Amino acid sequence: MNLRQIIQAVQLVIIYLILQIFFMRNLVLFNYAFSFVYIAIILLLPIETDRLYLLIIGFLVGLLVDFFSNTYGIHAAATVLIAYARPILLNYQIESKGLDRVGIGIRAQGLPAFVSYVLPLIFIHNCVLFLLEMNNVGMIFYSTIRIVASTVLTFIFILVLELFSKR
Amino acid sequence: MLQLVDFIFRNRFFLVFVLLEVVSMWLVISNNNYWGATYFNTSNYYVAKTMAVSTNVSEYTKLGEINENLAIENARLHALVTQLSQKSPTSAPNGYEADSLFAERFSYTVAKVVDNQTNNQNNFITIDKGTADGIFPGMGVISATGVVGKVRVCSENYAVITSILHSQFMVSSKLVRSDEIGYAKWPGKDPNRIELMDVSKYTKILKGDSAVTSDQNSVFPPGIMVGEVETVEVNQNQTFYNIVLRLATDFPNLSYVYVVKNNQIEEQEQLKKSLENQK
Repeated sequence: MNLRQIIQAVQLVIIYLILQIFFMRNLVLFNYAFSFVYIAIILLLPIETDRLYLLIIGFLVGLLVDFFSNTYGIHAAATVLIAYARPILLNYQIESKGLDRVGIGIRAQGLPAFVSYVLPLIFIHNCVLFLLEMNNVGMIFYSTIRIVASTVLTFIFILVLELFSKR
Repeated sequence: MLQLVDFIFRNRFFLVFVLLEVVSMWLVISNNNYWGATYFNTSNYYVAKTMAVSTNVSEYTKLGEINENLAIENARLHALVTQLSQKSPTSAPNGYEADSLFAERFSYTVAKVVDNQTNNQNNFITIDKGTADGIFPGMGVISATGVVGKVRVCSENYAVITSILHSQFMVSSKLVRSDEIGYAKWPGKDPNRIELMDVSKYTKILKGDSAVTSDQNSVFPPGIMVGEVETVEVNQNQTFYNIVLRLATDFPNLSYVYVVKNNQIEEQEQLKKSLENQK
């Protein structure tokens, strides 16, 4: 990574964290749909990012969101998991297309590839989050609705923000 | 030895991943109760300060509602004053005179809500008063219209409250007209509704009856509103009603709360403890 990429990555982290902590934290639609827009940090970091840094950034970002929502480690666990799963999914995409490397982002990947990369990771993140938060099995149906609704809302936000950002 | 180093090197990402997951799981599990003291939370000075900024903005949009609640509370207090000046305690038998210390055992501190959650399964509220204002873990918290929760952790200037919208929090409550005692507990879905449990189905429960905190409660003063009975169902196989209460406190719009200090709680608890020691 060169200096320009590093500065861009830092910008990405700061902007999405501010967005999450000040705005998205209070935004819940119909008591079901949450938007965890901060995971875009992990999803959109450049492909050259070292896997080790990815895990550590994921952990720290998740922990910071945890402090602000009194959830103690739930966000950290979910974010570390997607930080680990991200390179696996990207490698699969590279191999299936026979390319040397792919850029990350809606313009570099194209819409279908971007969706098939972002959506499963958001879904995994939300599953871990709501299943860890659930404290009796009777709530499983309720949590499932929340997982699906939050996945859709988070995906829409990330997609819109990605469409409006020029990179 | 070389093989071990090689193994660690090849699997270093997986090992770091497992390590970080274990750390976060440890955080989740060690904080999975509502009474324990914890470190990283919204009572932290800087975290609370940033959240106060965003709350200040959204508070302006709620001013009408806050005024309305204060007016309701004023009315209730006026009613109470007249009631007290009219007569001495009614439910007590003749000859009972409340000790003035006992009657005045509760004192109140007004605090502003800095951060408020209603959508999780375990919700917490952060307020802008802490140990410097005489607030300590375990104190009850009420709003102008009803119960709110219990203080969980304090820093010098901030405190985190376990709201009654928490899966492990129970409030001993009494139905006013049918005079039945039960436990109010949040099932985890709607922030405006709470369930009342352990009410025997052999008594008559009226819709619209109000549930208040019971006298057997050292945290909340007796007679604070919990909610109104909305639906009553009887389960054939059980001996208890399924009662759903509409919460008296409007949690999504909570702005100011009162922290209740029971000046005699230590004495009361000590007495109980001495009894246990004798056994």
